[in-house]
Amino acid sequence: MRAKKFLKVVYVCFFILCGGLYTYSNSGLHEVWAIKNCKIYTLNGAPIEKGTIVIRKGLIEAVGTDIKIPPDAEIIDASNLIAYPGLIDGLGKSFLKLPKKKIDMQRLASGEFTDEDRGITPGREAFELVEFSKATLDKFHRYGFTTVQIIPERGILTGQASIFNLIGNEKNKALLLKDTLLGIGFSPGMFGVYPSSLMGVVAFLRQTFSDVIYYNMHFNRWKKEMNGLIRPVYNLNFEILDDFITGKKPVVFFCRNQHDIKRALKLSKEFNLNYFICDLGSEAFRVIPELKKARARLFLTVEFKVPSTSIYARKGKSIKEKAEKEIYPKNPAKIAEAGIPFAFSSLGTNSPEKMIEGIRKAIENGLSKEDVLKALTIVPSSFMGLSKALGTIEPGKIANLILMEGEIFSKDAKVRYVFVDGKKFEIKKKEVKKGKEAKVNVTGKWGFEVQTEMGTMTFTVEFKQEESSLSGKLISQFGTFEFSDGTVSGNEISFDVTIFFGGQEMELAFSGVVEEDTMTGTVVQGSMGSAEFTAKRIPEGGER
Amino acid sequence: MRRKILLFFIFLISLNLTSLYAQDILLLKNGNIITISGENIMGGDILIKNGKIARIGKNLKAPSKAKVIDLKGKWVMPGIIDSHSHIAIEGGVNEMGDLIIAEVDVKDVINPEDINIWYALTGGVTTIHTMHGSGNPIGGRGIVLKLRWGKSAEEMIFKGAPRTIKWALGENPKQTNFSRQGKPRYPRTRMGVEASIRKIFEEAKDYMKKWEEYKKALKKRKKGPLPLPPRKDYRLEVIADILKGKYWVHCHGYQSEEMVSIMKLCHEYGVKLVSFEHGLEGYRITNELVKYGVAVSTFADSWAYKWEAYHTMPHSTALMVKRGVLVALNSDSAERMRRLYHEAAKTIRFGDLSEIEALKTITINPAKILGIDKWVGTIEVGKDADLAIFSKHPLDPYTICEMTIIDGQIYFDRAKYLEEMKKKEKEAKKKEEKGKKI
Repeated sequence: MRAKKFLKVVYVCFFILCGGLYTYSNSGLHEVWAIKNCKIYTLNGAPIEKGTIVIRKGLIEAVGTDIKIPPDAEIIDASNLIAYPGLIDGLGKSFLKLPKKKIDMQRLASGEFTDEDRGITPGREAFELVEFSKATLDKFHRYGFTTVQIIPERGILTGQASIFNLIGNEKNKALLLKDTLLGIGFSPGMFGVYPSSLMGVVAFLRQTFSDVIYYNMHFNRWKKEMNGLIRPVYNLNFEILDDFITGKKPVVFFCRNQHDIKRALKLSKEFNLNYFICDLGSEAFRVIPELKKARARLFLTVEFKVPSTSIYARKGKSIKEKAEKEIYPKNPAKIAEAGIPFAFSSLGTNSPEKMIEGIRKAIENGLSKEDVLKALTIVPSSFMGLSKALGTIEPGKIANLILMEGEIFSKDAKVRYVFVDGKKFEIKKKEVKKGKEAKVNVTGKWGFEVQTEMGTMTFTVEFKQEESSLSGKLISQFGTFEFSDGTVSGNEISFDVTIFFGGQEMELAFSGVVEEDTMTGTVVQGSMGSAEFTAKRIPEGGER
Repeated sequence: MRRKILLFFIFLISLNLTSLYAQDILLLKNGNIITISGENIMGGDILIKNGKIARIGKNLKAPSKAKVIDLKGKWVMPGIIDSHSHIAIEGGVNEMGDLIIAEVDVKDVINPEDINIWYALTGGVTTIHTMHGSGNPIGGRGIVLKLRWGKSAEEMIFKGAPRTIKWALGENPKQTNFSRQGKPRYPRTRMGVEASIRKIFEEAKDYMKKWEEYKKALKKRKKGPLPLPPRKDYRLEVIADILKGKYWVHCHGYQSEEMVSIMKLCHEYGVKLVSFEHGLEGYRITNELVKYGVAVSTFADSWAYKWEAYHTMPHSTALMVKRGVLVALNSDSAERMRRLYHEAAKTIRFGDLSEIEALKTITINPAKILGIDKWVGTIEVGKDADLAIFSKHPLDPYTICEMTIIDGQIYFDRAKYLEEMKKKEKEAKKKEEKGKKI
């Protein structure tokens, strides 16, 4: 029994380490490839045990067993490798650089709120805001991702998504489809600005959808008749929203819990929307009959944190932890069992390694590998309207594929080659390097100052560091909140604290750098955006 | 000993099984029944069929499939109704972003998993009115819920209950009690609060007129382009419905002058103003309250927590009841909700109400205020079997709520709950010991 457990730990460590062992190199000009002797999961029929894939100028030219290798092809002997279609992150916000929310107190005092304050930014395009850094691309490749749909998710009418191939830093080259999806969130922008409550958001959405329909009806009639009809006042947001509210293009609702899902279904039905549900709270399993009835399509996230509204979060810590371990990770399996179409989203986990980690948790909790593979290939490509171009290994499709050592999602699986638009990225083994050791010890009391929208917030954090693991408590005027699972790596620290504030639960994610007795960094406040913090060590015996 | 425990568990399991098979018929025997509608019945029985009270009397015979509970002299009263609360609401109780926000609806944000629902059940509460806060002259719409713990939001909604809307007068809509980010919001006086209501009424009248004109034009048209419909305004639609008397108005107010003034305003516009919420100075204007038929939903002995709440006394409730005002006691708080029967008892201590008069303030009176007295609020044949069972008379300071029943279903059973807790404690201990051994 113990030996088994030990082995498991070794396997897990190995997997985690492997993630860090590979790097990629790209080989520029080559356009024709023949990958031979490899097992191929085409996802279009049964897997081919030993076959060949020919890639030409970014597309798959041929797949099968009796394929003649063209004379101009560079050959990769993949006899110990397995080919899969490139993985797709159905919905994420990696690579996105959102402008910082600037709070000008003078402006606010005058009562002039902007659309940004209210969270109404339907014109915000992911395409304009992405930056593909080599390091992040490398991370995605390492876990087999070749395509992502990126969406701004801050606010109420959050902005528009774009779909990219992970091919390099030129976004014009990387783009597949632009302005594909409009994000709709239920979190109000800020206190004192309409809408400032959840019920306000619902009412606001209803009125806005109705206004968009009315505005465009009115404008179209004016364009047609002109005579005897007064023209409407131009409204850019309504122009942008037209396609999304009339169903020409889909919207996606960011749902933090089962009730958000129900609200989204209700609004969608009321306005006949073409919609997706993004299940941020992993609570889709609690509303399966409603989802089935509505024929909803889902983006499932794999963070598996119990939403603060849930009864599992209200009956004490042990029940919450148990639910996070045993109940919520079953969400994907239950959705698959119910036959509800779903793709995976990196929202919540926000990194490819954590996303894959979450997916492995879903597999441990009953989701089949076939369903996982579909939810990362065929399903997202069909959600995106890209079924003809992505999702399977078939002639004519974009040459997005990965070659792996070992079956995908098995313990020792590693991605060796990634092809994106027919461009080869090799993921090489690196020297084994130990995880970074902690170079600082932060144990003790620290005085924190956070610059927020509402002004400067101060509180004390008492850290307890054991090697690289960090725990402690945050002491503030709202109460004391304990945390664990923090880390210290080199001189970088990170820790998450859940606080209760005004009857609501709020997650604060701190990350920063330690320089002697000073700490600086950022704190992400749930869906409220991020803020800068500085902290100073409080000398023992001395109070601030 | 072990055998005894085993037998006990078998007994428990068999209890569960019977409850599964005989859910439709329940007979409560040997209880002291406070019917509210008539005399108390000492040592009486209540027969419940399909969630409704079928018979009340002595020595009722149990039908063959009935589940029987012997109350052994415990006290039964109608399930307690709280006509003013803010529990089970997700994402904020006040929409502060604008002045009049009738378009927002608590119905959109019910959280049926709020643990406060369970706590309320432990105090014999079966129905609540959960509502928007008091930050706006005309606030959001409220909803009446039956506390069917474990069910979905839709299943908790009290079917047939009239839709309600929250109004507020005085300091809260003036926003004098807290500092606000940015520019101060109109209005800053009581005059302004009333004027803002009058103004939106006039806007809503114009809005209705526009639609009528549009419909007329549509009818009249024979040739040529269709007339352009007016823009749909969700806020004004609700205000228009208020003017048509479709919404029951629950108006937060403290001072007698503003209450009298708003009663006149509502009378002028034909608005259905059903109650003042809190209404601490209501005892000063009982004649007017009776004249306009407006109830008061108030606190028993909570006052002076802000300046507009200075001029009252714990006798206020009794004074109003004796002058013929319909009065309910509300919680306005998840904590007070669990002990509303204590609040009712205070009206006997302060003001000398009778026991029945006191209990009416947490049963049939709030039911009338919410327009649900047809179904709940008393123990009568044909009404919903919503009952609270107490160890002693519910006004006894040492009484404990033992069981809470809604639609004939047991939603809270203290004995069973404590048993479960004990069991869990034992299991946890066992686990701990096991862990130690390894």
